[in-house]
Amino acid sequence: MLEDNQPRQTGEDSESRNEQPASSARRSFLRTTGLSTLGAMVGMTIPFEGNMPFGVVPVMAQDSGEDLMSGKSGLTLLGDRPLNAETPAHLLDDDVTPYERMFVRMNGLVPQTALDQDAEGWTLAIDGEVETPLELSIDDLKSQFETVTNRLVIECGGNGRAFFNPGASGNQWTTGAVGCPEWTGVRLADVLNKAGIKDSAVYTAHYGNDPHLSGDPDKNPISRGVPIEKALEEGGMIAWEMNGEPIPAFHGFPLRLIVPGYPGSASQKYLTRIWIRDQVHDGAKMTGYSYRLPEHPVAPGTEVPESDMVIMTVMPVKSLITFPETGTEVATGEPTEVRGHAWAGNGDVQAMDVSIDFGQTWQKAELDPAPNLYSWQRWRADVTLPETGYYEVWARATDKDGVMQPPVVPGWNPRGYGNNMQHRIALVAT
Amino acid sequence: MTYFSTMGGYIAVASMFLAAPAFAQGYDPMAAMRQPPATMQDGDEAVQLDPELGNLPDTEGAEETYYQCTACHSTAIIKQQRLTDARWDYLWTWMVEDQGMYDPEDGTRETVLSYLKRHFSSEPRPAESEGASD
Repeated sequence: MLEDNQPRQTGEDSESRNEQPASSARRSFLRTTGLSTLGAMVGMTIPFEGNMPFGVVPVMAQDSGEDLMSGKSGLTLLGDRPLNAETPAHLLDDDVTPYERMFVRMNGLVPQTALDQDAEGWTLAIDGEVETPLELSIDDLKSQFETVTNRLVIECGGNGRAFFNPGASGNQWTTGAVGCPEWTGVRLADVLNKAGIKDSAVYTAHYGNDPHLSGDPDKNPISRGVPIEKALEEGGMIAWEMNGEPIPAFHGFPLRLIVPGYPGSASQKYLTRIWIRDQVHDGAKMTGYSYRLPEHPVAPGTEVPESDMVIMTVMPVKSLITFPETGTEVATGEPTEVRGHAWAGNGDVQAMDVSIDFGQTWQKAELDPAPNLYSWQRWRADVTLPETGYYEVWARATDKDGVMQPPVVPGWNPRGYGNNMQHRIALVAT
Repeated sequence: MTYFSTMGGYIAVASMFLAAPAFAQGYDPMAAMRQPPATMQDGDEAVQLDPELGNLPDTEGAEETYYQCTACHSTAIIKQQRLTDARWDYLWTWMVEDQGMYDPEDGTRETVLSYLKRHFSSEPRPAESEGASD
């Protein structure tokens, strides 16, 4: 048991994947480290742990949710505990990202309530710098506010981290920590305005019920927030459905905050509380280097003092080529459709261009209007490869202010955030 | 875990392309641009991975690293990293102060950090530099 590093409550079907039983020497080593793996899982030392039979998991240990990953077809697994998996670009071709193609980014463990799809007695608290603190059930949300449905992009702030050099710590996302499902819920601004935001309000602070990896019940795996002005803007939602179904366990059941245009970590899963604060929130992963960028440009590899790190807010303009799959063979001299999506944290994308000659010349792509603010937008172009051989298609989106995606990795930063370099695929003309 | 393509897929594609200048089907130009995965090298020697220790490289400090780190997370996140020594030092402190990691006071810190810096580094290691000049 001690060696099972993927705690689960029913593990019969996965025993073949577990680590080998350890030698007694290893077990005795483990015990000498004080808080053991098992003890850390439940957040305390376990008296008589040595007497526990192999295979018994204390009821407090949380399921990592790994078994649910079988519903995520074709994703690239980055880590099993915590669970993190991204989507290859050609599997993101749908206008509305289906569940099975939506990336997974867990900071902690999947809560048991989400695994059980049990929302019994769930409440959402709105408190702090408000005229009237609210304690809302999911039925209250449904009955007291207008229900809206929007396609909203969720993208991890560290999407593209794998391309920074020197490396930046964290999951090495390439291009696939992004998706655009359809969310149903209420407007965040409607709920905040019902509570009545005081003039003293500065920042939101978001809380969920997901357990910390250490098992310590007093720790939050993540608790981030946004400036109150952003929270009151058009776009924010408190959602209970994703693609017309209750929000799946990995994505925040039963309630998820969506703050589009900001790093995905601002869109708290398993939402239980929005605390309105009179200062910038200092919860888990708001401070230090987490979701922060250097205030001034730095050379790659610079050790930036914490005092020079500022909170990352609006996500940069970006696009993906989702069809065809990289490496596809196409007919020489004939038009080939390439297509994908474009999005930006500051609203609609203004233009989309593609290049088949390594960025030397560009042609305009067709760009559909967004179905709603902060959805990604479909783009298409026909490219004709003039002779047989190897080509790359490069894609470049331009945001509403005229800012374009760069051809190379932009501003190195210690944690590898905000990489919006142009996406490229290979095509072979035959 | 048959339902995932793994990180190894990218690596295999990239190395196939290097070995065969002719175009390899499925080539991804983004894969060639990313940070290479941790070398799993130890000087000039390719190291064995230990399946009992989450497939960490089987050198001195692997066992201490495995048990210290997997109390909270699997080895998958460790094996993705290529960091400077200073970042590894910072991460240790962050995990102890912010993330509730047990702080052993028996030299384990030095053993684990030197192991992580040896195998999962973005800094040139002395052994590699010597090897390159031979």
